[in-house]
Amino acid sequence: MKEWFMKLSISKKLAMVAALLGIIALFIANPTDDNKIYVNAKEMALSTVKDQDKIEVMTLADWLIKEKSDFTLVDLRNEKEYSEYNIPTSVNIKMEDLLGSGLMRNQKIILYGNDDIAAAQAWFVLRSSNYKGVYILSGGLNEWKNQILFPKLALNATPEQTAAFEKVKQISAYFGGTPQLATAEQTTTSAASTIKPAIPAMPKLSTPAVGGKATKKKKEGC
Amino acid sequence: MMPYFKFDYFGFDFGLVVAFIIGIGFGFALERGGFGNARILAAQFYFYNMRVLKVMFTAIVTAMLGLFYFAWIGWLDLSLVYVGDTYILPQIVGGLMLGMGFVIGGYCPGTSVVSASTGRTDGFVYLLGIFFGIFVFGEMFPLLEGFYNSTPMGRVTLPEFLGISHGMVVFLVVAMALGAFAAAEWGEKKIAKKSGRGVE
Repeated sequence: MKEWFMKLSISKKLAMVAALLGIIALFIANPTDDNKIYVNAKEMALSTVKDQDKIEVMTLADWLIKEKSDFTLVDLRNEKEYSEYNIPTSVNIKMEDLLGSGLMRNQKIILYGNDDIAAAQAWFVLRSSNYKGVYILSGGLNEWKNQILFPKLALNATPEQTAAFEKVKQISAYFGGTPQLATAEQTTTSAASTIKPAIPAMPKLSTPAVGGKATKKKKEGC
Repeated sequence: MMPYFKFDYFGFDFGLVVAFIIGIGFGFALERGGFGNARILAAQFYFYNMRVLKVMFTAIVTAMLGLFYFAWIGWLDLSLVYVGDTYILPQIVGGLMLGMGFVIGGYCPGTSVVSASTGRTDGFVYLLGIFFGIFVFGEMFPLLEGFYNSTPMGRVTLPEFLGISHGMVVFLVVAMALGAFAAAEWGEKKIAKKSGRGVE
């Protein structure tokens, strides 16, 4: 047996190794289970505790105004909500499509839903699949509306607050928002101040929301 | 864990250095395999020298077994390995055109660079042709764009498409390769006997 094997040429020996490995592969079936995830619990918990994985809406607004493009903004809401309004430059990816959506693992990804919950769930999915730079937009779209689109100035605002509000107004205008100003009637009559101002219209989308999917996909391969 | 680049073990710049080193190695292996010679390459299509088939299948089987077992051991995250999107119709047409060029010119793009680097004139002419083709394609791209992006199928792999396990695909490809090797050896001997032409 041994002699017979020694007599074979090197290519025949290699062919036998390949055949053997091929047959073993048949029994292994699948080398990795795609649905199984590995989590470094401590690392994940630490980054959450330290708030390293959150981006404030003001910070994001600032980045968008400065036209920073080193991140991908992902809208996790459904298509209808996305087409009605979305934060500029965002792409619409459903939670279940996240892993196959062409997001890169070395990319900076900022997630948002209406609130924090969907984003936090998506954050976990991505982090556990070895995506490194995943962030949550703190407060989600609701916070974006509160702070950026429809910022409110308190009736008894101090001069400092008013000055700060002037800045916010400019940011808001950039994104087509409607700052909520305390009007004269509201200040004079106590009855009027309890009436909530009508919800202002959402800014119109300047770019067609449909088909705005992952515009720039990094090319790979030969 | 592999792939190293996706896990950010090194940056883009160092990635280029690694690519350069691997590229030199790849070219060297091709040259030593005789792939800098258009006669050997073109002979494949007339079936009197099956070296291309043997080398290609060996490369496929080696890489496939490596990926499969590395993933099984846990060294490699298969989901991070880049798989290009499939656009079935344009890719078939493109493949046929590349094959025709291969038969006529005696090189594929990679081997023409190997050939040119060893100073062969036909290699240089072929390289010029490649750049001319790239230029024409680039200029015509607005016209071709619709076809270029037609019949998209996304990321498709054989196990998904056929609905069988990875191991089954590995086994079938290995069996196919070994069968092809045996057939190639047999065919070469037969043709050499018949026409008196050498096997190289």
